[in-house]
Amino acid sequence: MSIRSGITTSLTRWVFILPIAFMMLFFALPMILTAVWSVFERTMFWMEPGFTLFSYENFFTSARLLNFLASMYHSSIAVLICLVLGFPIAVFVRRRIPQAAQHRVVLLFILPFMVSETIRVFALRPVLQRNGLVNGALMKLGVITEPLTAILYTPLGVIIGEVLSFLPFIVFSGFLAMEAVPRYIFEICEDLGANTFRVYKDIILPLAAPGIFAGSVFIFVNGIGVALLPNILGGPGAVNAGLIATQAISALDFPLAMAVSAIMTATLFLLLYIGHRLFDLTHILDPVNK
Amino acid sequence: MSNVPPAVETRDLSKHYGQVRALQNVSVNIAAGEYFVLLGPSGGGKTTLLRTIGGFHRPTTGSVLLHGNDVSRLPPDKRPTSMVFQSYALFPHMTVLGNVSYGLSLTKMPKDQIQEKAKTMLEMVGLTGYEDRKPHELSGGQQQRVQLARSLVLDRDILLLDEPLAALDAQLRKDMCLELKHLQEQVGITFIHVTHNQEEAMTVADRIALIADGNLIEQGSARDIYERPKHRFTASFVGENNLMDGTLLTVSGDDAVVDIAGVKLMAKTEGQSFTAGDAVSISIRSELVKTDASSLSGSVEGHCIIGTFREAVYLGLTTSFRLTLDNSNEIQARFVTGQSAQQFSPGDRVSLHWQPGDTRLHAAQTKTHTP
Repeated sequence: MSIRSGITTSLTRWVFILPIAFMMLFFALPMILTAVWSVFERTMFWMEPGFTLFSYENFFTSARLLNFLASMYHSSIAVLICLVLGFPIAVFVRRRIPQAAQHRVVLLFILPFMVSETIRVFALRPVLQRNGLVNGALMKLGVITEPLTAILYTPLGVIIGEVLSFLPFIVFSGFLAMEAVPRYIFEICEDLGANTFRVYKDIILPLAAPGIFAGSVFIFVNGIGVALLPNILGGPGAVNAGLIATQAISALDFPLAMAVSAIMTATLFLLLYIGHRLFDLTHILDPVNK
Repeated sequence: MSNVPPAVETRDLSKHYGQVRALQNVSVNIAAGEYFVLLGPSGGGKTTLLRTIGGFHRPTTGSVLLHGNDVSRLPPDKRPTSMVFQSYALFPHMTVLGNVSYGLSLTKMPKDQIQEKAKTMLEMVGLTGYEDRKPHELSGGQQQRVQLARSLVLDRDILLLDEPLAALDAQLRKDMCLELKHLQEQVGITFIHVTHNQEEAMTVADRIALIADGNLIEQGSARDIYERPKHRFTASFVGENNLMDGTLLTVSGDDAVVDIAGVKLMAKTEGQSFTAGDAVSISIRSELVKTDASSLSGSVEGHCIIGTFREAVYLGLTTSFRLTLDNSNEIQARFVTGQSAQQFSPGDRVSLHWQPGDTRLHAAQTKTHTP
């Protein structure tokens, strides 16, 4: 082996080793420590080694559990809305837009992601608030006489925020999912005489299921995990797991924050396990015809 | 012509994409029960024609009539046609039986009847025992058979095949060609088959239409097209024809005299109209050209020309002599290997001759053809 290729080989090795080391140190280790710390004893400003399920008891026997379940419910609604709004866009792009232009069109839907989420979500407040754009317009039109107070600082506001934040993602993951659906499929369906409903039910959904599931899990997990959305748009009845953890940290209750994180992680793994049993997620990024 | 309208009739069919004219005034009649092949080079418009007949494209102008009914504005499933696609276009998540029965499951037909019909059709294409396989577990040929069954089970009476064998390897293609032909004879419906492969076309076709540059150039039986091509394009595309370019000197009655590289050659006009001075080409199939050392003895005047020998190419069954005329037209003379003991060296002057009646006369440029 020449000296040159020896250097190249060891460089190549480091290209893999460095990211793995990074992820082990800064992702896997903290994730494990989260579970460990969640059973530590709380002290005034930090925690001390020990074993107690107090934090879990605290979570499961308080209003936090209800809030957590409610946020799962709201998150599910956001997933459904995103799918209904976003997936047909992905199908449309795949079916009607010329191959060469497809990625550019998808890029248009991803552009909103380039704006900081904080700013995007915060910009919703003047739109949704009591004397905001929505209420103003509805009152001018005479649809309502009193401003709607049910939009902002409610679960509805959070759901709107979630759809806004995650819709681009479902378009993108839907588009990837549709790569598993060859274009000729639509022509066969036309030839056989399948209507839109049957095409979706019999062909598109079964073929795109793994991709749709992956996109849905992403939205769901972010819906229960991202504290920003309920923090800016939510209210008493619209708190999610991310916000519960954030609030616990503010209250210096670190073991509780860790316990909430561990519960969220467990929920994610449960979802992935169910999805894997249903759709065999190893095939998500496979090309056509498998 | 009888009073029964043709299974397929297109009238002055044109399809334009912006400036691109994919089809120009194509009129064709296809009788019920006919195996009709659209043959031509890639990008010539034959697939566009097929897809317009099937309802996947709307014509820019002109109309499509199936059994005498204008269907130009009807979607594919409302036409008595069904399409077999080029690639292995099956539903990848369904079994073979699922693929074949899916079309019928969209109708009101009872389930057990659908199963029975689908199984009968699978038997017809030789896939009994494969009902529960998935498409990716099948070979290319088997996948195309499933496509055939999926289309035939619908009981529509015009089957459209878009390069159905293009993805198969050469030997399999030959076998499948004959199977397609036999299948068509068995079911008795109209088949319209698109291909760029001449041998494939000649194997299956009752009639062949040549399509190039969006025009229907010529149509006829395989024998007509091969032995008596009317158009220069047909002669250049079908068979191994030699084309000799020159100028028409005189026409009297059916006889034409053409100047090719300073030599006067005779040809028949065969009803085409020419005038003296026209740029024309004479075509002759390579297997009809005989070669001789320079003496012109034994050949008929007006049916021989001198060329320069370039090389001999051994092709197994046949051997091909490659020569050039003095106007730099390339000529091939092909004979069954071993049936000629002639030996030439590059640069030798060689006499080329043929029987009167072996040649065809063509206008130099193929004009837009409206039958």
